[in-house]
Amino acid sequence: MKNSCSSVSTLLEKYFDQEVTEEERFLVEGHLQDCPGCRDALSSMEELRTLIKAPVEEVVGKEDFPWVWQKIEREIRLEKKRTWWSSLRSWLAATPLFRRKVWIPAVATLVVLLLITAQVILKKTPSSQGVSVVEYLESPAYNVMVYQPEEPNVTVIWLFEGPEEEQRTT
Amino acid sequence: MKRTVFLLTALFFFSFFSFSAASAQVQVRIRVILASNVGQAIDPSLNDVHKELGSLFNFTSYRLLRDEPMNLVPNRTVTVQGRRPGRFMEVTLIGLHRDNAQLRMKVIREGVDLLNTQVRLSPGRTVLIGGPRYGEGVVLFAVSSRF
Repeated sequence: MKNSCSSVSTLLEKYFDQEVTEEERFLVEGHLQDCPGCRDALSSMEELRTLIKAPVEEVVGKEDFPWVWQKIEREIRLEKKRTWWSSLRSWLAATPLFRRKVWIPAVATLVVLLLITAQVILKKTPSSQGVSVVEYLESPAYNVMVYQPEEPNVTVIWLFEGPEEEQRTT
Repeated sequence: MKRTVFLLTALFFFSFFSFSAASAQVQVRIRVILASNVGQAIDPSLNDVHKELGSLFNFTSYRLLRDEPMNLVPNRTVTVQGRRPGRFMEVTLIGLHRDNAQLRMKVIREGVDLLNTQVRLSPGRTVLIGGPRYGEGVVLFAVSSRF
């Protein structure tokens, strides 16, 4: 069956752009052998493409593409980095578990645990280097002696009773 | 959401202050000892200070009359009664530092201060206050701290 020009012309552009199927290509090539008008149309398309392509290639040849790419890379590097907080927020917003606010009791528990731990850690730790120091001493009725032995596990405060006190107490 | 934040904040402050208050206390052990030369008995509960007592004094017998473990909180005075009426000891925690507790101690007899003293006591240390006669011996107050 001989194909008419009107039915092939719709395929001609696709053929020119190499977008036809194998069957369509066979059909178009068969028609082109017998139709000088469609061959001319195809030649016109090729000329047009050459006409457009030549100046574009000339411009592309002059352009320094590595330099353009370097410029793009520099722009990417200079792009402002996201803060950790905004990253965290976007992550939380994207996670269904956290969107449902189930993290609130978890955070509360964590805070309480941290408080307890901090209290234990920061609790005043006894120092074995410490000694006992008598800062102030007053006794209206007694003579008083303070004795601090060399190995100061014990500090002694001794009240010396006078004879009259001795009589009162015994 | 606001209510949750409020509850969390309240919980935070409550926990912080309650734990702070709990840690600001000192465990003190006050022992009243009768030291004499009658017999040779040494009370087993005095083992921790037995060596010191032996090296410091010439008594042969140490008898425990009273043993009072107590928790001191700042500026609250506790009283340890003596063997006879009108005789007692007052102890007040007036300061708590990293490695010592500041204590004010008074020995009082019939309304009169026999002794008024202020000491810094490190953990595991003991202050012995002695001298007042009792029977055939003398009374010793052993004040030890742990915190």
